[in-house]
Amino acid sequence: MKDAVPLEMARDTSIFGSKAVGLGEAIREGLPVPPGIALSGPIVEAVASGDEDAIEKVTSAARSLRAPLAVRSSAVDEDGADASFAGQHLTLLNVPSIDRLTAALNEIWWSANSDSAITYRQRVGLFTRPSVGVVIQELLNPDSAGVMFTRNPITGADERMIEASWGLGESVVAGLVIPDNYRIDRAGHVLERTPGHKKIAIRSVPSGGTVQEEVATDLVGRLCLDELQLEELSRLALRSEQVYGPARDIEWAFAGGTLNLLQCRAITRTGL
Amino acid sequence: MAGAPVEALQRVPLFMDLDADEISQIARLFKQRRFAQGETVVREGSGGAAFFLIESGEATVSVGGTERPILREGDYFGEIAVIDEGPRSATIVASTELVCYGLTFWDFRPLVQDNGAIGWKLLQAMVQKLRAAEQGFRPI
Repeated sequence: MKDAVPLEMARDTSIFGSKAVGLGEAIREGLPVPPGIALSGPIVEAVASGDEDAIEKVTSAARSLRAPLAVRSSAVDEDGADASFAGQHLTLLNVPSIDRLTAALNEIWWSANSDSAITYRQRVGLFTRPSVGVVIQELLNPDSAGVMFTRNPITGADERMIEASWGLGESVVAGLVIPDNYRIDRAGHVLERTPGHKKIAIRSVPSGGTVQEEVATDLVGRLCLDELQLEELSRLALRSEQVYGPARDIEWAFAGGTLNLLQCRAITRTGL
Repeated sequence: MAGAPVEALQRVPLFMDLDADEISQIARLFKQRRFAQGETVVREGSGGAAFFLIESGEATVSVGGTERPILREGDYFGEIAVIDEGPRSATIVASTELVCYGLTFWDFRPLVQDNGAIGWKLLQAMVQKLRAAEQGFRPI
């Protein structure tokens, strides 16, 4: 089905992939997700093939969004229980204009059909034709961002664990910085806060793509979340568990003073 | 226009005996893929996901660290790993910006299975590679 729909209308993981459907559910439940659209696997493949009708359909749907755009893969079997495709499929964080979407989708489609992706599929016993849906969202320019586990992923303790750094959260996800660490109990009380060593921040650049910027010396060791922001994250953890169930792995960002949910999935680490 | 240009496929020995309709059908299965200068296109030993035709640009080839002839417009590569699901037999690096048309394993296999003419051409190309390999090992 060659579909390009607003994120909140993405309901079927076999068409749009788990990332798109998860975000769609979040929007329907009132969680703070940046505006976006979901593309089905077949329309991504059609765009990658140069199909003009498919390109027009995607371009038309994307006009509802303000560039720059974050274009993320949402493979149909991504983040499943048996094998995670995180890291195999491409995310293009800063596509500067809608004109560049076709090339971006071609790149993402090929990332799911690359030699490394196929090698991975062979290794985990999933040697099947890949289908890659895509989520396109307005790109945030966050002051701080990171990840939050709604349960301790190592000990299984009933507490929130937050890792945070300056700029886009990819610096935390990719392990490029030592992030700030916070532990919060279920009632929202801060149990521990440990400043990290955040020497770089990832920022988007106007011509497309991202750049690693040096962080000002006085910010490297300064905590990047204040009391009010930790309260907001605590509320987001509670609400996310109400919507999705316990033990969630959340990617979040504060931009212009507003908290945004970027991704929410089940914790896949040990200890639970 | 979706897929690869028909004219590009008509220049490829593998598809030369096919009629225009057959080539048009095959062309639609290909997707363009661009590689930057210096980018590794395939790496020896890796799993193989796709078969590629070169639309424009050049690429170097090495097998076990030994250089092989350069690939150019109209050349194709990647068919061995796509056929036997084994590892890539060569490393190919784009020496200029390289524009290819790729056909994945998932489309390549039924195409060959359904089309005897392509299968035969592929067999001939494989035999040529086998002869070349045998000559390389022939005792003097």
